[in-house]
Amino acid sequence: MDFSRLEINRRSALLTSAAIAANVINPMRAFAQETPRKGGVFNVHYGAEQRQLNPSIQASTGVYIISGKIQENLVDLDGNGQPVGVLAESWEASPDGKTVTFKLRKGITWHDGKPFTSADVEFTAMQMWKKILNYGSTLQLFLTSVDTPDPQTAIFHYERPMPLNLLLRALPDLGYISAKHLYESGDIRQNPTNLAPVGTGPFKFVKYERGQYIIADRNPDYWRPNAPYLDRIVWRVITDRAAAAAQMEAGELDYSPFSGLTISDMARLAKDKRFIVSTKGNEGNARTNTLEFNFRRKELSDIRVRRAIAHAINVPFFIDNFLGDFAKLGTGPIPSTSTDFYPGANTPQYPYDKAKAAALLDEAGYKPGAGGTRFSLRLLPAPWGEDISLWSTFIQQSLSEVGITVEIVRNDGGGFLKQVYDDHAFDLATGWHQYRNDPAVSTTVWYRSGQPKGAPWTNQWGWQDPAVDKTIDDAATEIDPVKRKALYAEFVKEVNTELPVWMPIEQIFVTVITAKARNHSNTPRWGSASWYDLWLSA
Amino acid sequence: MRILKLAGRRLAASIPTLILILVGIFLLLQFAPGDTVDAMMAQMGGGDAATAQELRRFYGLDLSIPLQLGHYLWRLVRLDLGFSSIYGKPVAEVILERLPPTILLMTASLSFAFFFGLVFGVIAARGVNKWPDTMISIAGLIFYATPSFWFGLMAIVVFSIYLQWLPAGGFEDIGAVQTGLWRTLDIARHLVLPTLTLGLIFLAIYLRIMRASMLEVLNLDYVRTARAKGLDETRIVTRHVLRNALLPMVTLIGLQAGTMLGGSVVVESVFSLPGLGRLAYESVVQRDLNTLLGIVFVSALLVIIVNFVVDLIYARLDPRIAAEG
Amino acid sequence: MDAVKRYFRSPAAVIGLVLLLIVLAMAISANWIYPREPLALAGRPLIWPFSNPRFLLGTDNSGRDIAAQIFYGARISLLIGGVATAIAIAIGILIGAFAGFYGGWVDNVLMRVTEAFQTLPNFVLLLVLVAVFGSTLTTVTIAVGVVSWPAPARLTRAEFLSLRNREFVQAGRTLGMRDLQLILGEILPNALPPVIVYASVIMAVAILLESALAFLRLSDPNVASWGNLIGLGRDVLRVQWYVSAIPGIAILVTVLAVSLVGQGLNDALNPRLKGR
Repeated sequence: MDFSRLEINRRSALLTSAAIAANVINPMRAFAQETPRKGGVFNVHYGAEQRQLNPSIQASTGVYIISGKIQENLVDLDGNGQPVGVLAESWEASPDGKTVTFKLRKGITWHDGKPFTSADVEFTAMQMWKKILNYGSTLQLFLTSVDTPDPQTAIFHYERPMPLNLLLRALPDLGYISAKHLYESGDIRQNPTNLAPVGTGPFKFVKYERGQYIIADRNPDYWRPNAPYLDRIVWRVITDRAAAAAQMEAGELDYSPFSGLTISDMARLAKDKRFIVSTKGNEGNARTNTLEFNFRRKELSDIRVRRAIAHAINVPFFIDNFLGDFAKLGTGPIPSTSTDFYPGANTPQYPYDKAKAAALLDEAGYKPGAGGTRFSLRLLPAPWGEDISLWSTFIQQSLSEVGITVEIVRNDGGGFLKQVYDDHAFDLATGWHQYRNDPAVSTTVWYRSGQPKGAPWTNQWGWQDPAVDKTIDDAATEIDPVKRKALYAEFVKEVNTELPVWMPIEQIFVTVITAKARNHSNTPRWGSASWYDLWLSA
Repeated sequence: MRILKLAGRRLAASIPTLILILVGIFLLLQFAPGDTVDAMMAQMGGGDAATAQELRRFYGLDLSIPLQLGHYLWRLVRLDLGFSSIYGKPVAEVILERLPPTILLMTASLSFAFFFGLVFGVIAARGVNKWPDTMISIAGLIFYATPSFWFGLMAIVVFSIYLQWLPAGGFEDIGAVQTGLWRTLDIARHLVLPTLTLGLIFLAIYLRIMRASMLEVLNLDYVRTARAKGLDETRIVTRHVLRNALLPMVTLIGLQAGTMLGGSVVVESVFSLPGLGRLAYESVVQRDLNTLLGIVFVSALLVIIVNFVVDLIYARLDPRIAAEG
Repeated sequence: MDAVKRYFRSPAAVIGLVLLLIVLAMAISANWIYPREPLALAGRPLIWPFSNPRFLLGTDNSGRDIAAQIFYGARISLLIGGVATAIAIAIGILIGAFAGFYGGWVDNVLMRVTEAFQTLPNFVLLLVLVAVFGSTLTTVTIAVGVVSWPAPARLTRAEFLSLRNREFVQAGRTLGMRDLQLILGEILPNALPPVIVYASVIMAVAILLESALAFLRLSDPNVASWGNLIGLGRDVLRVQWYVSAIPGIAILVTVLAVSLVGQGLNDALNPRLKGR
C-alpha cells in the first residue's frame, strides 16, 4: 500500500520538473484515490477489419485502434490537447521554418530486441510517410531529407517553411515509426510485418485470426516504468452493431470505440450504470456532416439555390430528434473542438427559414411546376454511418417541402467514392469530413482547386475560387501561429459565404466503455493512443 | 474404383459450367462502379490520387479487361486462385481459413433440418389430419415464412441477453484459448443459435416433403399388403416405407446446398461468424475479384461434390437407379 | 370446376386466400387511408405503437408513420414478388421449352447455362447484380427475377420432354404445324399448370430475397418497403424492436398466404397426390 503511494509522489515530482514531460499530464490521476491494479484482459470491439495494420502507411482510426498500442509515434497529444513527446524527447525548429530537429529518447528497443534509433525515423519518414501514407504524402510534400548525425537525432529538412504547430498537430496521427530493419528489403506494401506489427509500444503483437480477433500481450520491456497495467488486449471482430451491443451487455466486450454502436443502443447504455458513454477522449476526432453540391448542375451553380437548400433544412430539429446528445450545430469546416483554429460562430450561417428558401428559389427562376415540384436532384449518401443515412432521409423530406424532389441513390463504399469523386455522377452528396487537428491536413483540400480527378474527399464540385486558393496556400506556409489562425478565420468566412460544401453538423465520436476502466479517455485521441496507463478495477 | 471413375467423369462434365460461372461473374463485376482501390480508399478514410494510381498498378488493374481475364484463367488452370487484395494473402489460404466455420454451420444446419424434418414429417404423416399433423404443419409454414435474419436477431435478444444461456456471437471464446474437448464444446455452444437460424427454413421444407412423401408411400400396394399380413406398424414404417420416402429428401439436399451458402451470408453477418458467406459479401463490397471468384469456384465445387454424393446415396437406396448408372 | 370446389374444401387454402386478399386490399386502399406521402416526416421518431392515436403502429427512426409504410409496402412487396416471379417464369419457360423441345445440343447448352445459375449461390449472384446495377426498385426486381429462373426452367423442360412425343404433338406435326406453333400453341398450355403452381414458391422466395437485401441496406431507399423498414429497425432493435417486428410479421403473413394459396392450388389440381 505505502509503496504505491510513494510511487505516485515520485511521479508527481518528475512532472513538475523542467524537462519536457515524459508522461501524459493526467488531471484524473491527481484525484484518483485508487491504486492501479495490475492485470486483466481488455476486450475491444473491432468493427471494420482493415487490409493491413501498419500506421506508418495507413492513417485511419481503424488501424490506430490496434497498432497505436503496439507501435508508437514521435509525438502524441496530452490531456490538454498539447503535443507531448513519445519517441521524441524534444524538438526545435529553425527560424526560417525549413529545418525541424527531433531529439529522440534513449534506451528504447523494438519488440524483437533491436534498438530504436534515428535510422528508423529517417527510413519511416522518407519511405513510408512521404511515399505511401495517405495524407502523409501531402504533409511531407516538401520534405527533402532527414539527417541522422547520431542515433538520437533526426533533422527534417524542408524546401518550404513548415509551420511547427502544423507538424506537431499532425504527427500524433501521421508520425508513427516502423522498424527499418524489418522493412528495408522488399516491397513495403507486401511485407508480412504489416499484418503482425512490431513496435516499441506497451503491448506486443501476439496473433491475428482474420475475421475473428487480434491479441496483444503486455510488453515486459516497455520503456515507461510500471507500465502497462493490463496483461492483454483482445480485439474482437464484430461487424454487426446490434450484435456488438449485445456482447457488451453480456459482459463479453469492455469497450466500443468511435461510435461503434447504434445511436439508440448508445443512448440506452448511457443509462446503464455498468457503462460510461461519452464523447470525452475523442475531441481530436471531430467530424462534420457535409452537404456537397455539384456545380455541373445548372441549378446548383446558382448561389441562391444553394443557400435556399441550406435554409430549407431544420438542422437543430434534426439534431435534437435524431442524433441525441452526441452532435451539435456546426458552424463551418473547422469544428468548435479545435481550440487553436476555431474562428467562432461569427461567420455566415443559414438558419432554418422555409419561407426564405422558397423565396430564394423563386428569385432564382425555379418556380414550382405541376404537382408543386421545381426540379429534382439525386442525392448520394456515403454508406458509413447511421447518422448519414438519417441525415439524407431528412434532407429528402425537408427539400420536398420546398418543391425539390430528391432521389436517394445507394452505393457501397468503393462505388460511392467512384461515383462522387471520380465520375462526378451526383447532384448532392453527403458524408463525413474528418478534421485532423489542423485545417491543412485534411480540411482545406475540400475547397482548394486543382485536385486530381478521383481523389476522394477533395474539391470535385466543379467550383473554384482563386481568392480562397490564395488564403489556403498562405495559411499552409505561415509560420506565425497568430497570423495563421487569422488566415483560417478568413478562409471559413469565404467558404461559408460561397457555400460549395455546407457543413452544418458537428460530431465527436462516442465511446462506450465499462465503468471498471480507469485512466480512460484522458487524451483527445484516446481511442488511438497507446493505453499504457489504462487499468481495470475489480 | 468405379466410384472414382464416376467422380472423374462428373467433374469433367462440370468444367464448362464452372468456366461459364467464373467468366460470367468476372465480366459482370467489371461493370460495378469503383474498383478495389476505391474500396480501399473508402476504408482508409482518405488518400491522394498518386497513391491511388500506384495501388492500381500494384493490383494489376491498369491492364485491359481481356488481358486481366486471360491472366486469371491461365492462373486457374494451374490451380492458382490468385492474390486477395483485401487480405494481401493468396486466395486459397484465405478461403481455407474461412472454410471450417461455414462447413460446420452448413453441416449442422443440414443435419438439424434433415433429422427433425424427418422425425416431424413422419409424425405428421402417421397422424394425418389429427391435431399433431395440424400443429406440425402450421409450425412448418411459419418457419418457412419467417425471415431468417429477423429470427436470428430476436434469438440473440432472448437467449443471449435476457436469458444469458448462449453467447451473442463469434465462433469461439477468445479469452481462454482452449483445446480438445473443451474447444469442441465451446464451438458447439456458439453454433447453436446460428444453426437454428439457418436451418429453420430448410426444416420447414424437409418437413413438408417428408410428410408428402410418406403419405404417398403409405398408400402404395406393398404397404397395404404388409399391413394385411399383420406386420407391426412401426416395423412397416422403418423397414419398408422410410427407404422409399427418403428419396426426395436426399435429392433436395443436393438442390439446397447452393441456397444454404447464400443464406449463410446473412446468418454469418448477424452472428459475427468468420465464414465464407461473410467473406463473399466483403469481396463484393470491396471489389476483391480474386477472392470472390475463388469463393464461387469453391462453392460450385462443393455443390457438385454434394450432388455426386447424393447420387451415390440415391443409388444405394433405390437399386433400380444404380442399374442405369 | 372441380378444381375450384376442391380448393375451397381445404381450410388452409381458404385462409391463405383470405390473407392474400387482405394484403391486396391494403395495397389498393393505401392512397385513401393514408393520403400523405408515406416517407414524409410525420412526427417525432420512435413513438411506440398504440401510444398515440395519430400513429396506430408508431413511427420509425426517421419519424415516418409505420402503419402508412405497411400499407404502401404491401404494394412494393406484391409488386416485387409478382414482377420478379413473372420475369423468372418467362425466362424459365422460354429456356425450358426450347431445351425440352429440341433436345440435342440446344438442350445441352441451355442446361449448362441453367446448371451454372443453379450451382452459383443465388444470394451471391444477387449481391453482385445489385453492386453492378444499383439499388433502385427496377434493378432489384429484375435481379431477383434473374436469380430465380432455373427452377421453372427445369420444370418446363421436364414437362416438354415428356409431352413432346405425345400423340397430339405428332398429329400436329403431320398437319404441318411449325415448331413455334407447336411449342406455344400445343405443348405450352399443357405444360403450364405445374409451373404456375410453383410460381407461389418463387413469389415467396422473391419477397424474402428482397427483404434480405433491404436488411443489408442494399435495396431502394426511396420507396416504402417492408424490407427497408426491417433494415432501418436494425439500428433500434433492442428497445424499439417493433420497427423491425411489425414489417417482419407483415412479410411472414404475406409469404404464408402465398404459400398456402400455392399449396391449395397444387392440391386442387393434383387430387391424387393429396394422399388422404
